[in-house]
Amino acid sequence: MTLEIDHVTKRFRSTLALDDLAFEVPRGQIFGFLGANGAGKTTTMRICLGILQADSGEIRWDGKPTADLPRRTWGYLPEERGLYARMPVLDQLVYFASLYGQSADRARDDAQRWLARFRIPEYANRRAEELSKGNQQKVQFIAAILHGPDVLLMDEPFTGLDPVNLALLRAAFVELRDEGRTIVFSTHQMEAAEALCESLAIIDQGRVVAAGTLAELKRTSRARTVRLGLEGETMPAWVGAVPGVVAVRPGAGFVELELTAETEPSAILAAAMARNAQVTRFEVAEPSLEAIFIEMVGRPAGDDATLADDDAALDTEAEGDAPRIIEGAA
Amino acid sequence: MAGRDPLLPNAAIVARREYRDRTRGPLFIASTIILMALALGVALAPIAIRYFDRQTVTRIAVIASDDALALRAIGVADGLLNIPPAGADPATWEKTFLLERATDPDAAEGRLLSGAIGGVMKVERLPTGQIDVQYRTNGPADGVRSQLVGFAAIAIGILDWTATLPADAQLDPFLTPRFEPVSINAPTIGGEPVDQQQLASRAFLGIVFVVLIFITVVIYGMWVATGVAAEKSSRVMELMISAASPRQLLTGKVVGIGLAGLTQYLAIALPALGVLAVQDTIAEFILGPSWASGAPLVGLTPDLLATYGVFFLLGFTLFALIYAAMGAFVSRPEDLQTLSLPLSLLAMVGYLSAIVALGGGGRGFVTILSFVPPFSPFVMLARVMIGQVEPWELALSIGLLVAAILVVAVVATRVYAAGVLLYGQRPGLRAFISAARRA
Repeated sequence: MTLEIDHVTKRFRSTLALDDLAFEVPRGQIFGFLGANGAGKTTTMRICLGILQADSGEIRWDGKPTADLPRRTWGYLPEERGLYARMPVLDQLVYFASLYGQSADRARDDAQRWLARFRIPEYANRRAEELSKGNQQKVQFIAAILHGPDVLLMDEPFTGLDPVNLALLRAAFVELRDEGRTIVFSTHQMEAAEALCESLAIIDQGRVVAAGTLAELKRTSRARTVRLGLEGETMPAWVGAVPGVVAVRPGAGFVELELTAETEPSAILAAAMARNAQVTRFEVAEPSLEAIFIEMVGRPAGDDATLADDDAALDTEAEGDAPRIIEGAA
Repeated sequence: MAGRDPLLPNAAIVARREYRDRTRGPLFIASTIILMALALGVALAPIAIRYFDRQTVTRIAVIASDDALALRAIGVADGLLNIPPAGADPATWEKTFLLERATDPDAAEGRLLSGAIGGVMKVERLPTGQIDVQYRTNGPADGVRSQLVGFAAIAIGILDWTATLPADAQLDPFLTPRFEPVSINAPTIGGEPVDQQQLASRAFLGIVFVVLIFITVVIYGMWVATGVAAEKSSRVMELMISAASPRQLLTGKVVGIGLAGLTQYLAIALPALGVLAVQDTIAEFILGPSWASGAPLVGLTPDLLATYGVFFLLGFTLFALIYAAMGAFVSRPEDLQTLSLPLSLLAMVGYLSAIVALGGGGRGFVTILSFVPPFSPFVMLARVMIGQVEPWELALSIGLLVAAILVVAVVATRVYAAGVLLYGQRPGLRAFISAARRA
């Protein structure tokens, strides 16, 4: 039982949103769907849901094309969050679940259990507009899973969550996976993907540029990650200027550098020597997902793909800024 | 995808949410109460008007050159001006004109100018024996009252002349003649002459019904449009569209809001209709039996009420579907104002044509419009109300309306499906059409 994205092409007038996109998601896995804004992640999910039709190709679950599957197969967390502002939280959760055919009593019990798990049981009878954005996001997550879908499609589920809620949501992912559900989530937060995914696909401009398990991707990657510690310099500015360095992250007593596949790690050491810097640590690490992404796509995931046509409006992936210096590395 | 998504139960679930969401809002409850009070006020207004009518007695001063002439003038004018309405009990009926003798012409003139009295009647016997009656009034010289005074002048002249007959001539006392005008152009329904009161009632109800349909279509239609636009702008649409099909969502929305509208509408109309139905009883109770002058609902038959119900439902459905598609198309609820104007104008054309039809005018174009959706709910209803419709005409008009609703439903569903996920578009006809095509 797999989710098959079988050579799907989707064009919005002059823009090719999905270009012969093909990959498979095995059942019962947490699958990372990685790509920059505009890469085609949301479009792919909308075709799964039947909101959009593919121009060619097909998406199948358990061998059946999406058009033959009941809606309750899917649980969808849209990237653009929205709830009925004036409707009490519990009422709307029951409402959404009942549209998927869930009985009201069961939905009410499950919703209360999830609200308690997400530490917001007191909001059950409050209007959605009274909740903070993070809490609204948790409510939307519950709305996506309450009817017990086989496949969860989560569009950027972790954006805007604080560390505590992030941990709650990750734990929920693992629990749902253990129940046998298949979870596909898009993100451009590589740490979250690295921590959760068993396998993943990286897409760029509507095409798969890499797919497989995390271990496979790391094994075949030619990307280099170097950890460099320097006496008296916690965030040396010059390292970013060394040819072949594509990203710099501050660490505890060191900086982590992502190098292009063509750059030898020794080049960094040589550059440090040339500046008479005191090297306290030098380590060539297993490439991070971030490094693999950059290797495959040519830029960090925070950078937007270049989709500028009006029709890109159909693909409502949010604007993201592109920090070249990424906070909080391992 | 229709096979995968049968209309029920999701359309019903959506409709129930829409209905509750509308009817539980404080704005809905407040506006319903205010409108209910307003409708009751309007229904009671005729009684109030009659009540004040009863209070107003028009005074007319009579100035005469001698006592006998004054007495005669007052007697005759009183008889002619104060004719009790048909069916009134002469024992309890109160006169609306009070004729009183005045001796000072200047003072009378002053009171006329100040509006304290409605007229001054000067009666003089000229040296030739001819009676000269001058009627000075603050109303028009050719008004009904002036004409009645004209009759009175003739009568006074005749009476004065009979007074010159020998004293032993036996004459019966003068009786005011009865007079009833009958028009040969009176309207008929199916060849039968229509009761004048019933006709007036039907025309009155026709205006009420047409106004109600117009208000319903524009206000409740706009509810549908803003509801869809709000779902879209709050992005809850993204969740909805994955949980239910556009057809289910659109149907649920139109039905739910339609029912909420109907609820408000019945809450407003039923008490008012109740008051209208017993208006005569109330009038009789407050003003006495002579003031019960015909119930305004006398022309209301179950047939007319059913016709109204059918056109109300079909008219609302047609417009609500278009409003929903419109709501799906804008990114911000503010844009609805601009976009909804042409649609309101369409409803307005239907409304005004119906008013023309109720007045009996514009036969040719009124007949054509009574078959053409979206005007037919207004115009055909108006034609039915004044009774000039053949059964086949009614059937054809309803058939065309239903056909139009089916076509509009298909198009509206496509526009809705395409529009709900289309953000950042300027509302415009071209974008509208291309979106519908792509869906």
